[in-house]
Amino acid sequence: MDWWTEPFLLGFQQRALIGGLAAAVMTSVVGVWLVLRGMSFFGDAFVHGVIPGIAAATIFGFNPYLGAAIAAIVMVGGIELVHRQTALKEDTAIGLLFVGMMALGVAIISKSSSYTGSLTAILFGDIFGVDEGTLVTMAVLGVPVLVASLFLYRPLLALSFSPEKAQTLGMNPRFTHAALLVLIATAVIASFQAVGTLLVFGLLVGPPATAALVTRTVPQMFAVSVVLAAVSVWLGLTLSYHLGTAGSATMALVAIAAFFATLAVRGLVRAVRPSVDPDPSPAEVAA
Amino acid sequence: MNADVLAESSDLVLGYDRTVAVRPSSFTIPHRQVTAIIGPNGSGKSTLLNALAGVIEPLSGSLQVLGGRPGGRRAGVAYVMQSLAFPKGTPITVREAVGMGLYPTLGLFGRRSASDRERVDRAMERLRVTDLARRHLDELSGGQRQRVYVAQGLAQHHEAILLDEPLTGLDIVSARTIDEIIHSERDRGHAVVLTTHDLAEARAADWVILMNGHVLAAGPPAEVLTRANLEAAYGLGSLHTPDAVFIDDPHDPEDHAHEHSRHQHPH
Repeated sequence: MDWWTEPFLLGFQQRALIGGLAAAVMTSVVGVWLVLRGMSFFGDAFVHGVIPGIAAATIFGFNPYLGAAIAAIVMVGGIELVHRQTALKEDTAIGLLFVGMMALGVAIISKSSSYTGSLTAILFGDIFGVDEGTLVTMAVLGVPVLVASLFLYRPLLALSFSPEKAQTLGMNPRFTHAALLVLIATAVIASFQAVGTLLVFGLLVGPPATAALVTRTVPQMFAVSVVLAAVSVWLGLTLSYHLGTAGSATMALVAIAAFFATLAVRGLVRAVRPSVDPDPSPAEVAA
Repeated sequence: MNADVLAESSDLVLGYDRTVAVRPSSFTIPHRQVTAIIGPNGSGKSTLLNALAGVIEPLSGSLQVLGGRPGGRRAGVAYVMQSLAFPKGTPITVREAVGMGLYPTLGLFGRRSASDRERVDRAMERLRVTDLARRHLDELSGGQRQRVYVAQGLAQHHEAILLDEPLTGLDIVSARTIDEIIHSERDRGHAVVLTTHDLAEARAADWVILMNGHVLAAGPPAEVLTRANLEAAYGLGSLHTPDAVFIDDPHDPEDHAHEHSRHQHPH
C-alpha cells in the first residue's frame, strides 16, 4: 500500500497531483474536439508556439500567462495571414509558424544566463514546483474552459459535418471555430507552467485518441478521455517517484502507452472473438 | 411577398470570394411545389442551393426566401447535404444525427420534449432508418447515409426542404424511399427544391430552373426543358437521342456515381 501512497505524502507532491489532474481535465476535454476536428498538428504547433511569449516573460519579468496569450494571438494571426494571402494549404501555414515561433523562443531563451534550465522548465514543466498561486490560476482559467466546452457541444458536433450544415442548423460555424481556438489556447496557457508544453500536448491528444478507440458517442468519449488523462497523471507521478524519472515526461509516456495498449487489446479481442462486435461491417450493412 | 412564392430573386449574383459562380439571374420558385435545379457540372446548381439555404451571401442583387433573408435559425428551411460528406471518425449514431435537425429550435441547451423525440422517431420511420438508429454514420452505405440526412432535414421544423443531388448514385431502396418523401413533402404543403443531373427527374418536378452559369430559364418543365433551351445549356449535339436521360459528361470524376442510378432510377 505504501508503494501507492508514498509518492503523495508531502505537500509539494500533493500540489503536483492536483495541478496535474487540473491540467488533465482541461486538456483532455478540449482535446476531444482537437482530435475530432483533425487539428492535432495545429495543437502541436500551438503548444510550442507559446514558447517565445513565456521565454520573453521569464527574461523581461512580466506575467508568463500574458506572454503566452500574446504569442498565441501572433501564432493564430500568422496562420490566418498565410492561409488568406496564399494558395498554400493550412498545414504549411501551421508548419511555418510552428518553426518560426519555436526558433524565436529558443533565440530569446539563449540570451538568458541559465539557457538550459529555462528551456527545460518551459518544455517539460516543473510539476513539483507547482504552488498555490498556480493552482488558483488553473482553477480560474479551467472552470470557464469546461463550461464553454459544454456550450459548444452542439455547435461543434454540427461543425463536424460541414460549416454549411452547421450554419443551416443555426450554429454559427465561424464563431464556433474561433471559440474552439480560444479554448485550446486557454487550456494550454493554464496548464503549461505546471506540466510543461510536452505533457500539455500529450494530454491534448493521447487520452482523446485512446477514448476514440473504445467509445460509441462523443459524451462517452469525453468521459473516457478525462478518466484516462487523470489516470495518466496519477500513475505517471507514482511511477516517476519510484523509477526516479522526470514527472511530466513519465505522465506523457503513460498517456501515449495507454493508446497503444488499448489498440493492441482491441486488435486481440477482434482477432479472437470477431463476433463480439455488435455492429456489422459497412459491407454487411450495405448488403 | 406572395404566399405561393418560396423564393424570389432579382439580378442575383453568387460566388465564392472573388469568383463569380452564378451571373445575374432573376427567377421565382413556387412554394408547396417540387422544384428541380438542373444544368451541367459547374453551372451553379449547388451554389444556388447554398444561397437559398443562406449559407452564402449574394455578391449583388436580391434574394428573398419565405419573404425574408435566407438562412437564420428560424428560417424554416431544412438543408440536406450530399451523402459523400460525413464526419469521419466522429462517434455519432444515426439517432443523434437525425436529432440534430432539432438544433435550430433547441439552441445550445434546450432539452428534447416528448414531442421532439416523437418527431425524430417519425422522421426515422419515414426514411426507414429506425433499425439503424444505434449505428455509426461511418458504418452506413451511401444510400443509408443519404436517408439519414433526409430524416435529419424532416426532423427540423421546416416549410421547405433543400436537397443537393438527393438521388445521385443511390441503391434502389434508398432512391425510391427518398423519391417518395419528395412527393409526400409536397402533399404536406412543404416546398422541395433539389439539384439534379437527371432530365427525367427534372421532368417529374412541378417547376424547373435550368442553369448554365446563370438561370437560363425557370418555369414548368414543359416550357423550360425544350430542345432549344437544353442545347443552349449543354451545347449543341449534347443530346444524342430524344429520350436521353443523362446529359452530363459520364467521364466527369465528380459524377462517378451516376452510372449506378442510370439503372436504378425510381421513376
